[in-house]
Amino acid sequence: MSVPLKVIYNEESTKSIGNDLRKVAVQPIVNYSNISKSYGDLQVLRNIDLDIAPGEKVALIGPSGSGKTTLARLLMTLEEPTSGTIEVDGEMLWHQKTNGKLVKANEKHLHKVRGNIGMVFQHFNLFPHMTILRNVMEAPRNVLGLSKEEAMERAVTMLKQVGLANKIDAYPAQLSGGQKQRVAIARALVMRPKVMIFDEPTSALDPELVGEVLEVIKAIAAEGEMAMLLITHEMDFARDVADRILFFDQGRIIEQGSPKRIFNNPESERLQTFLSRFNRH
Amino acid sequence: MWNWDYTLLILPQILEALKITVSATFVAFAVALVVGLILTLARRSDFKPLSLFAQGFIEFVRSTPLLVQLYFIFYVLPEHGLSLSPFIAGVMGLGLHYSTYLSEVYRGGIESIPPGQWEAAKALNFTPLETWRKIILPQSIPPVIPVMGNYLITMFKETPVLSAITLVEIMQTAKMLGSHSFRYLEAFTIVGVLFLVLSYSSSLMVRRLEVRLNLR
Ligand SMILES: Nc1ncnc2c1ncn2[C@@H]1O[C@H](COP(=O)(O)OP(=O)(O)OP(=O)(O)O)[C@@H](O)[C@H]1O
Ligand SMILES: [Mg+2]
Repeated sequence: MSVPLKVIYNEESTKSIGNDLRKVAVQPIVNYSNISKSYGDLQVLRNIDLDIAPGEKVALIGPSGSGKTTLARLLMTLEEPTSGTIEVDGEMLWHQKTNGKLVKANEKHLHKVRGNIGMVFQHFNLFPHMTILRNVMEAPRNVLGLSKEEAMERAVTMLKQVGLANKIDAYPAQLSGGQKQRVAIARALVMRPKVMIFDEPTSALDPELVGEVLEVIKAIAAEGEMAMLLITHEMDFARDVADRILFFDQGRIIEQGSPKRIFNNPESERLQTFLSRFNRH
Repeated sequence: MWNWDYTLLILPQILEALKITVSATFVAFAVALVVGLILTLARRSDFKPLSLFAQGFIEFVRSTPLLVQLYFIFYVLPEHGLSLSPFIAGVMGLGLHYSTYLSEVYRGGIESIPPGQWEAAKALNFTPLETWRKIILPQSIPPVIPVMGNYLITMFKETPVLSAITLVEIMQTAKMLGSHSFRYLEAFTIVGVLFLVLSYSSSLMVRRLEVRLNLR
């Protein structure tokens, strides 16, 4: 694959009308520009260029170790890029301008831009010492500075939406994996981010609990305005929810396009091989 | 040999001095808790000079005897214009000395917090201070409370060393009573029994607490 990947995508977006026209006209909510990431000698991401439009649902698929989580963690500011820039809503994430010069962002700048982004983790990462309600209302209360009443009202609304209004006073240890993940989703949503990252939200769950979490995510996606970056091994789910699928391998976007295109007409051999593994099951 | 009349005669005086011992223990423990936490946070700081200073302080304090530190605070500092009462000098010395051990206890508690907790806090955009206050410390401290309790008991048993800087705690009181009457048996026995009873009952309490924390 020597053709620049951005070109492939742009060609496609001019061909299909409607949804994709918006992407061209509107400033992207997230822009990765020539992003690379290395751990020592290991290069995990190689010159990634990626735009996500406001409200767009992008699913990231690819083999284990291909760099999907790393791509997401750079956006959540959990990991710093080795080179390249990321913009969120038109603002540099890891850099800031001081006296006309581009310098590394300080914590204050990161704090401001990070507020646009939310993340749901594979292992939930709920706060075990807090009740469910406090897990969800602590950040609105402290980070957004809402009054206790407002924060609680928002949290309860959110917990109702994920179907856990009756668990408000329970502690995380008392919940099933699926319930924990739904709380984690509520906790991230209550901050009203413009972009939400889901990093394999169901892969730590028992098979019978996967459905309830996917349903909740689908319902959120259907609401529309929030952009989503979904890392998943659930191909049917990706097909249902995503506007666009990115296939990742060895730190590169190998192929991307609409779910229909990616699943029905995979072009690269690597994607074909990758998908055939899922079809067999 | 053992004289009960004499025992009853000196008991009130020793119990009075026990108040000094116990309050010195608790004040020194409070100093150790606060300074220990500060040392732990300083050592984790990204600001290199601060973490190096904390590290150096801990190494220095641990590698020198408590008695030398107490002498230094009580006898040398006044030469440089800082005169402290025996009680203040004693709780400072004992507190600072044990702060280095409590710092290690805090560190253990903090390092047992999974990275996912820090990451979730960051994803929710908590500031570093809020992350410490709301997420990290409330989870790191409860499990180490029993260890802290054991240090409290150790510090209690260490207080007789404060008699070296003229603090009239129970050991010093017993010594003075002995040298007045030339009877040492009763006074020192009472002191020993008091230490035994208080330390042992406290350690039972700590163990109960430990069981209760484990059950949660
Ligand atoms: N902190 C780190 N230090 C060193 N290597 C790392 C670190 N984090 C990730 N890696 C390596 O980077 C590569 C990409 O990892 P990443 O977690 O992004 O892959 P992934 O696509 O999310 O895989 P999976 O599907 O298994 O979650 C892997 O080889 C991994 O071992
Ligand atoms: Mg991953």
